[in-house]
Amino acid sequence: MLSDNNQVSQIGKEKTTMRIRRRQVLSGSAAGAVSLATGLAAPAIAANEPIKIGYLPALTGPSSSTGVGINRGVQLGIEAINKAGGVKGRQLELIVRDTQSDPTKAVNAVSELTQRQKVSMIFGPVNSGEALAATPLIARDKVPMLHPCWVDELIDVKKYPMAFRQAPTNTQIGGGANHYVVDVLKLKKVAVISDTTGYGTASVNTYVPMLKAKGADVVYTNHIDAANPDLKPEMLRMQSAGAQVIMPWSVNAGFLSRILNTRGAMGWDVPVVGQTTLGSGQTKALLEKPEYWNKVYSNNFRKCCYVNGKLEPKTQEYLDQLKAAKIEFADTLLWWVALGSDAANLMADIFKNAGSKPEDIVKYMNQVKDWPGVYGTVTWTPQQHNGFPDSEVVMCEVNSLKDGAFNLAPGYAS
Amino acid sequence: MTEITTPIRRSGAGTGWLGRLEGKLSWILLGLAGLALPLLGDSYMGTIATRAYIYWVLGAGLNLVVGYAGQIAIGWVAMLTLGAYTTAALAAGRAGPEWPVYLALLAGGGVGAVFGVVVGLPALRLRTFYFAMTTLGFATIVTQVALAWKDVTGGGVGTPGPVFPWPFDPGWGFYYFCFLLAAIATWMTANIGSSRYGRALVAIRDAEVAAEASGIAKPKLLVMIFLLAGALGGIAGGLFASLQSYITPDAFTFEMSVLFFIGILIGGRGSILGPALGTLILTVLPEIAAPLVQWSTFLYAALLLAIVLVIPGGIADLLDYKNRRPLEQHREIVPRPDLLGRVLGEQSRKMLIALKGIRLHFGGVKAIDGLDLEIHGGEVHGLIGPNGSGKTTTLNVVSGYYRPHEGSLRIDGSHLPFEQPHVRAQWRIARTFQTPRVVGAASVLENVMIGGTVQGHGTFAESMLSLPRHRLDERVLKEAALLALATVGLEQLASVRADRLQHSELRFVEIARALMLRPACLMLDEPAAGLSAEEIRRLGGLIKAISRAGTAVLLVEHHADLIFDICDRVTVLNLGKVLAAGTPEEIRSHREVVSAYLGA
Amino acid sequence: MLQSIVSYGLAVGAVYALIGITYNVMYSASRVFSFTAGMLGMLGGVLGALFIQRMGLNPVLGFVMVLACGAVLGVVTEILTVRPVLKSIEQHLYVLSTLAFALMIQQVTAIEWGTEAQPFPTLFPPAEGWLDQKFWLPLLACAVTIGGLEFLYRKTLIGRAFLAIAEDSYAARALGLPETWLRIASFALAGMIGTLAGFTGAQMLLAFFGNQSILNFYGFVPVALGGMGSNRGAVIGGLALGLFQQAANFLVGGIFAAVAVFAVFIVVLLLRPEGIAGASTARRV
Repeated sequence: MLSDNNQVSQIGKEKTTMRIRRRQVLSGSAAGAVSLATGLAAPAIAANEPIKIGYLPALTGPSSSTGVGINRGVQLGIEAINKAGGVKGRQLELIVRDTQSDPTKAVNAVSELTQRQKVSMIFGPVNSGEALAATPLIARDKVPMLHPCWVDELIDVKKYPMAFRQAPTNTQIGGGANHYVVDVLKLKKVAVISDTTGYGTASVNTYVPMLKAKGADVVYTNHIDAANPDLKPEMLRMQSAGAQVIMPWSVNAGFLSRILNTRGAMGWDVPVVGQTTLGSGQTKALLEKPEYWNKVYSNNFRKCCYVNGKLEPKTQEYLDQLKAAKIEFADTLLWWVALGSDAANLMADIFKNAGSKPEDIVKYMNQVKDWPGVYGTVTWTPQQHNGFPDSEVVMCEVNSLKDGAFNLAPGYAS
Repeated sequence: MTEITTPIRRSGAGTGWLGRLEGKLSWILLGLAGLALPLLGDSYMGTIATRAYIYWVLGAGLNLVVGYAGQIAIGWVAMLTLGAYTTAALAAGRAGPEWPVYLALLAGGGVGAVFGVVVGLPALRLRTFYFAMTTLGFATIVTQVALAWKDVTGGGVGTPGPVFPWPFDPGWGFYYFCFLLAAIATWMTANIGSSRYGRALVAIRDAEVAAEASGIAKPKLLVMIFLLAGALGGIAGGLFASLQSYITPDAFTFEMSVLFFIGILIGGRGSILGPALGTLILTVLPEIAAPLVQWSTFLYAALLLAIVLVIPGGIADLLDYKNRRPLEQHREIVPRPDLLGRVLGEQSRKMLIALKGIRLHFGGVKAIDGLDLEIHGGEVHGLIGPNGSGKTTTLNVVSGYYRPHEGSLRIDGSHLPFEQPHVRAQWRIARTFQTPRVVGAASVLENVMIGGTVQGHGTFAESMLSLPRHRLDERVLKEAALLALATVGLEQLASVRADRLQHSELRFVEIARALMLRPACLMLDEPAAGLSAEEIRRLGGLIKAISRAGTAVLLVEHHADLIFDICDRVTVLNLGKVLAAGTPEEIRSHREVVSAYLGA
Repeated sequence: MLQSIVSYGLAVGAVYALIGITYNVMYSASRVFSFTAGMLGMLGGVLGALFIQRMGLNPVLGFVMVLACGAVLGVVTEILTVRPVLKSIEQHLYVLSTLAFALMIQQVTAIEWGTEAQPFPTLFPPAEGWLDQKFWLPLLACAVTIGGLEFLYRKTLIGRAFLAIAEDSYAARALGLPETWLRIASFALAGMIGTLAGFTGAQMLLAFFGNQSILNFYGFVPVALGGMGSNRGAVIGGLALGLFQQAANFLVGGIFAAVAVFAVFIVVLLLRPEGIAGASTARRV
């Protein structure tokens, strides 16, 4: 019950949660900061001042594993850009304010970044709770904003005309899973379940109609209390309803692992297709047998997946760069880091093409087309500020983790 | 030497220490700083300052609960949550039609008030730790409900906060709105703090038994405090939702609750300025020390530990220069019985208290085993006997702390109910205690004024808004208290903190407090214990004068000299029974009394 | 389903009961209710996972070390947060000092260990369903603790000295009992019981810094209901709470179960503030 908001802040938590050794992270970002400083110490090029970017990661606090992973990519990206001379001779200055996974700190930080620091653009926050509070304020202060959160409500062209998203929405995520089940695996009878959290229930309520619209037969749906230790009755009900696939939506590793354990104990050989946390190290650690992790597919992103054992050339090149820079992968995911680097490079491109005035930036962003990121291909229009393409939301095999990336789930036409 | 017509010497300026807007200068400076801040044009500082004002609106109310009433309400963030969601949901039309924003804010306050009482009621029955736990449990429940009740609260995704229209629109307009509300909250709670309600709260906190004897009814008072504090918390919640522009359940963390709570304790209990500064500091601190930000809760907790162990009085104690001035070393207590006429007023009829057939046992021990006792107005009735003979127990029965198993208690013929100590004040029955029960943290004058709490006429609301009747009450009470202090000979110590007084002085303070009730019956429980011979002599003179003014005096004592000196009647108890009763001469020579108690 | 309610309910109830006993042991020795009971439970799991899983120690050695840490923390609690405020006990300062200390430890844990719940290593080969060790370990620990305490209090001299201090500390001191040492020993014992609770319960509750608040509250409910100082009341209360909570979880879902527990807690407390088995407070005047 008194869970110190751990459960609460998992709402909309789109990412797998992995244990991060904080010292490594700190040394990583310290190294990044040091190299950033040395980059800035290079002789001032003309009288050009640095371009200030406000950055609101959650580096500490309950929901920080994603922020820490993304941060590695961001620091790396900015450092590389500055080393290569910056943007049109101007260095990029990251002004970092750790939100500590706390919306109140995020609000304070927004005020500082927009009013005092007068940043040209803000990247983040990385967690939904903070983003939900920060977005209206950033919009009010008329600063362009780029963020990687999944909650649908965060992007609204009318309310927040200067906010852009480089990641998929929750609807796209569900759509990707639904597409895999119905179109790739060609399964008709589907069981869709969730825990009783806001994220879980909202997901089910959105995804079930989407499935039905695709012609699938939703034979079972329920919101199950995550604390329930015995899921056998639920699974039996699904089985007798004829379900051919289970789609669970929850970020609670304990709950997800119990589903997998029960499935295994019953010897019921159906695929499990759903939330990214299915593939997290935490879920794995709670499995009773390692083979229970077979035939489990979770959301991922095409460009960060192994297809036939290989990554896309650009992704492979990026991975090699990371390894050369001695970035640890044991406790993070490739797509987090890639997302961070993409953000850095994307912002650099924006500044290069549009300068640092807000109206110009937004005008440019509104017509970005097929920007080739490592994490994803980004496209924006004046009516659509969600930049991630549907086609790149894919499912991956969770038991294939290598160097922070997974195999593409079987069956996709490549 | 006392002169008959010497006027009462006034003590130094600023008699009150509790709750007074101490250092009016500090408040003026703070106010000016707040008003002038927008001139700097730094909206970031504006955001932080707005947040500090919002936290203080809640904190001002919580200060009354924690600092004054001494209730450890750790989970008070629940009020913020309730107020925030109520205001946001109503203003956004999630629970029916859209409400006008200001009305929604008031509704937030109303919901906070209701639940403040709901959470607070257990405080009447539960001990400190238990109550702390229930507030924690409640805070979690509220968050869980916010998560679950998706239609109204938006569940995990949350809901947008209310936006106030011009002139309080987001930005500096809203800043001034919060500043204004913080100022009002400060003013109202300071008024309560320095009123008889504030003193009564502190009395309940530190000397509950004495508070009851002075007629203070704990339940009603606490309910009003929880109502006010809950309302302030709810309003703070609505403001918070607006500042955040969007609220989700994960914004209302346990850390925030701890912050409010610690801010008050750092500031010091029984003060307004201290907790305000404490809350301000804790709000601003994480912004200044950016690298320390994830250690902020750790630092708050460490600070709390340091305060508890080293300076329990907090910042307020540190700022209390007045009470660091050294006191005169060889102080004498010189009562002035001649003033009793003014203190006690007219005693039109002489009271008669009659105990008949009282039997009371604790488990197997017979504390009182068939007692008949009469206390007449105008007389000093001594009650003596060996330890454990039932003297104090008898006194406790009369003053309403114990219920006997048999027997009756009548005042002038009518029954006086057992076990209702706070009713005694209405009957003008006052008492002192075996160990002085005073509020150490309050001044001597405030302690005495506590005795007159029930004689005030103004309501809680009138005190809160400092309306004329409240101010009249205060004037009258203060005059009466100074008079009472002069009567017992302590008026020069009126503004001194009570815990700096000597033991003997505290005994006289208790008598002054009892005199505030204009008692028709005064019961004294071993008042001479710890006094010097000269002090006992003066005490005796005072007691005798009190009885000659018409009051019935019951004197429980061990000092035989004092008893035989001033008593008109003496009853001797032994093993819960009356061994002998009569005039002092009869008792002194009574054989059994001599052998059981007095010695040859 | 009934099987799950019973096995899970009794197991988690045993953990709550042990935390309740931890509260009681600290209370008996000092008349102080300490907020550190939940902290000890939390650390039992976290330290156990740290020693056995992260550092790879032998499980028995790890277990012993966890108990040792518990004892040390108990002693530190007594010296740092209890003894200094005992003289001003009426001002309830002890509530704040133990709260502050518990919070500090919790924050350090969150920062150093991490804020995610980590799995706890399996100690014995896993068994099927309700015979699994995560169910009988806490129950065994509870039984051993109760048995041990009964033996201690009734049959050993030091146990009776503990009881004497609890009953009347002035008289005990007058008799020559070393009150301070006995109190330190009590807190060390409480520390061990608390970490034992956390260690045996960690396969269910995981090694998670958030367990502190959960155990603080749910470990307190048995004490409140069973009467403070009464270990038997704590056990009955704890097991009953565990069963009730699990049943409510099944029947009405997690959130309403929490509300139900809280409501029952409040109602019982308001009707009988001293608990079902507790004694009324002593003379006030």
